[in-house]
Amino acid sequence: MTARLASVLRRLLLPALSLLLLAATPASAEQAVLRVLAWPGYAEPEVVKSFEQQHGVRVELTVVTADATLWEKLNTHSFDVFAVNAAELQRYLAANLVQALNPDAIPNTRKQLARFRDLAAIPGLMRNGKAYAIPFTYAQMGLIYDRKQFTTPPRSINALWDQRYRGKVVAYDGGTHNFSLAAQSLQLASPFRIAPDDFPRAAARLIELRRNALGFYTQPEEANHLFMQHGAALMFANYGMQQVHMLQEAGADIGYVIPQEGALAWLDCWSVTRDAKHMQLAHAWIDHLLDTQASRLLVERQGLSNTLSDDDNGQPKGKSVWLQPPEDTAWREELWSRIRSGDRLSRVLAQ
Amino acid sequence: MRFPIAWRLGLVLVMVGLLGTGLTGYFAYQASREQLVNSSEERLLTATNVLMRQVTVALNDVKADVRLMAQHPQAARILQRSTPGFQALGEDNVAMIFAGLMSVHAEYFQIRLIESANHGMERIRVDRGMGGLLRIGGDDLQEKGHYPYVFETLRLPRDGIYVSRAMINHETGAHAGEDRPALQVAAPIHDANRHAIGLIVVNVDLQGLFAQLAADLPPELKLYLANTRGDYLIHPDPSRSFAFDRGRDARVQDEFPAIAALLTKQAGESWHLVTANLPSSAEALVAAFDQRRIPGMQDGDGFILGLSQPLASVLSESKQLASITLGIVLSFSALSVLLAIFLARAFNRPLYRIVEEVRRFSVDGKIGSLPVERKDEIGELAYSIMQMEKQINHQIEDLQMQQEMLDHLASHDSLTGLPNRRMFLGRLEHALARAKRQNQQLLLLFIDLDNFKTINDTHGHGAGDAVLQAVAQRLRTLLRESDTAARLGGDEFIILFEGEWNGAQIEQMVLKVKTALATPIPYRDIELRSGGSIGHSRFPQDGSTSSTLIAAADQAMYHCKADKA
Repeated sequence: MTARLASVLRRLLLPALSLLLLAATPASAEQAVLRVLAWPGYAEPEVVKSFEQQHGVRVELTVVTADATLWEKLNTHSFDVFAVNAAELQRYLAANLVQALNPDAIPNTRKQLARFRDLAAIPGLMRNGKAYAIPFTYAQMGLIYDRKQFTTPPRSINALWDQRYRGKVVAYDGGTHNFSLAAQSLQLASPFRIAPDDFPRAAARLIELRRNALGFYTQPEEANHLFMQHGAALMFANYGMQQVHMLQEAGADIGYVIPQEGALAWLDCWSVTRDAKHMQLAHAWIDHLLDTQASRLLVERQGLSNTLSDDDNGQPKGKSVWLQPPEDTAWREELWSRIRSGDRLSRVLAQ
Repeated sequence: MRFPIAWRLGLVLVMVGLLGTGLTGYFAYQASREQLVNSSEERLLTATNVLMRQVTVALNDVKADVRLMAQHPQAARILQRSTPGFQALGEDNVAMIFAGLMSVHAEYFQIRLIESANHGMERIRVDRGMGGLLRIGGDDLQEKGHYPYVFETLRLPRDGIYVSRAMINHETGAHAGEDRPALQVAAPIHDANRHAIGLIVVNVDLQGLFAQLAADLPPELKLYLANTRGDYLIHPDPSRSFAFDRGRDARVQDEFPAIAALLTKQAGESWHLVTANLPSSAEALVAAFDQRRIPGMQDGDGFILGLSQPLASVLSESKQLASITLGIVLSFSALSVLLAIFLARAFNRPLYRIVEEVRRFSVDGKIGSLPVERKDEIGELAYSIMQMEKQINHQIEDLQMQQEMLDHLASHDSLTGLPNRRMFLGRLEHALARAKRQNQQLLLLFIDLDNFKTINDTHGHGAGDAVLQAVAQRLRTLLRESDTAARLGGDEFIILFEGEWNGAQIEQMVLKVKTALATPIPYRDIELRSGGSIGHSRFPQDGSTSSTLIAAADQAMYHCKADKA
């Protein structure tokens, strides 16, 4: 028998056998199972293990890497607790997939920074006076600049449009965020509520950005490549500190600033599903994840910010503009795809 | 003989036969199956390698087309703008070249000439549309300066070629190519001062290209294409193709775990392997993968090309093999059983014949037929047994002869050859019994030789023996078949006559005997003279038992001798 064939058989047979064994072993009915849906790095193995030991339960962890997958999983499978960003949470609320939780039952919330404790001040976390999510981690989308090309750090978001850096600006390929940026640049009332009359201005602003830009990226690796290979001067950091770390590791001499208009920022929270079986356990899980162990690992391993301390990450201080569901995502994306494709304003605005 | 040796031998032969054919069949099957699986894996890998080579060749053709167009003097002239009349004519000519190429190459979605000025404005563009080729112009032309295929190509030397990573083309207004997987292949257009002033870019229909290349593959083979990160670009399940473009993960290493190690260890290098998919998958597959870098492709990217075949179809050939092998094993087993039965019978039959013969011989002692004609051990055994039988018969004959001799010796007098006293008494008893039953008479004559002692003393024992022998001879001549003469010992003889005897007849007989005894007996040079005294007794007159009858005759003889004296 060839080793290859043997390994094929091993792969086919062993799992089948172990399935049989599993089926033959009666599951211990006493041990509760907490079903957790999270993003990579949120629930590190040692964090899961210490929770299991402290509570005598088993954690069934499922990891997702995309908003779409999270939405699909939660609609097709049963979970107790999951991590979702504040803007995305709105559609889960609308679909009645989450239930209210009790922040008092999560003692570690008292260790959180004041701005994360005040749930009412963060748009989208509360509804009808009830809390639906507890902030866990966040990232701001600041500006990365090349120290050699900037004598003084850029201060405003408008630096992206600065003609002096024409062909040296790297921006993100996403209509929702880009229209928010354009709104900030145009000093519109809210980045997430662009009035219909303001769209032509915003679109024109984004065409200007396109003409000023070297290129647009979707993945951090792409951004890194563009920035390093083409001598870029300025970059909108959609992935925040993660990109800063990547560029610094690649040897770039860069700085990172939060623009005076405030940085768009996403905030990931823990929520409890409507059909959660173990409410108490779900609260205990959230409390465990807000403990120092999990919060420290979040910074050390993922380069993300935790909600306990400001000083861990070397992140510049500055205003966060928490992402909110925009007035019309589809329209923003439609317009952006035309702008991105190189159409001139008349074509962009054509119905 | 409940379990004859021949049967046991047959059984052993059958078992050896079954074991032999069974083991041969099993190992032949194992070896052939391994070869079959190996060769089908080999075929799969070869097909993958060949396909990969075709991909490289096809891409080289595209590159050659792009380079040819970019280096055509007309391309640079258009970008440098001559008089409007010439300009329009030149642009029409180039568009015609584009259209010509696209009509030959069904896999080209779009060919464009883009200038570096005006934010990378498209100058000439031919798209593939639903109804055919479209020359795009006016407001529909777009600024493309921010796309990597523009800014990366403009940085290249005159001979440089840009090949984009495989991606979904989300540029609006791209007609047939919009939201379809594509590769962009571009080459810069340089002016006389070696400044890049524009570029030619061809959008290649990825699926169309691979559909063409894979058209000749057997339908059971499924095509996989991934980038070197493992993201599927083409997958039998369309929902897994370009999943990353929809914010999802679908990677070759998740379905074929053996690839994961190669992706991390040999990133960017060429490798190929044959592997199987995850056991949890609905259908077990054997797949061959080949990774190559595509020269000029962004980020050193390339393709992982794979072909899969259901494991069941790989093994189906070996199933066929198994049934053939089983058939062969079964028929040879049957043959070995038949052979064993035949051998057992061939061995058993002569043995059985020998056994029967020996059994019969022990009953009747006659030598029958044995398979002595055989030239083997059985023939030898039969011959030995026949010899043994002959010897036994011979010895039995000897024994019988000796027995007869011993019987004679025990019942006859060795000197005269006449019955001795023991035998005579026996005959007398028989005769008495018969006479009593049939009311017949018996006559006994008791004879005692005269002068015997004197002859012995005078002429020696030889003379005495001669006298005794002569007397016996003469008595014999006087007797009938039914009469018995015997020597009772020493010089005493006795004769038994059966039948009626009157006095005269007795006197006559006594006289005859006396005369015979009185006749001189020649001995060497002399004549010996003996003679005898005779007494007689009769049944039933003189006694009814043998002893009384003998005693009566003896008594009578004694009186006679006394009278003589």
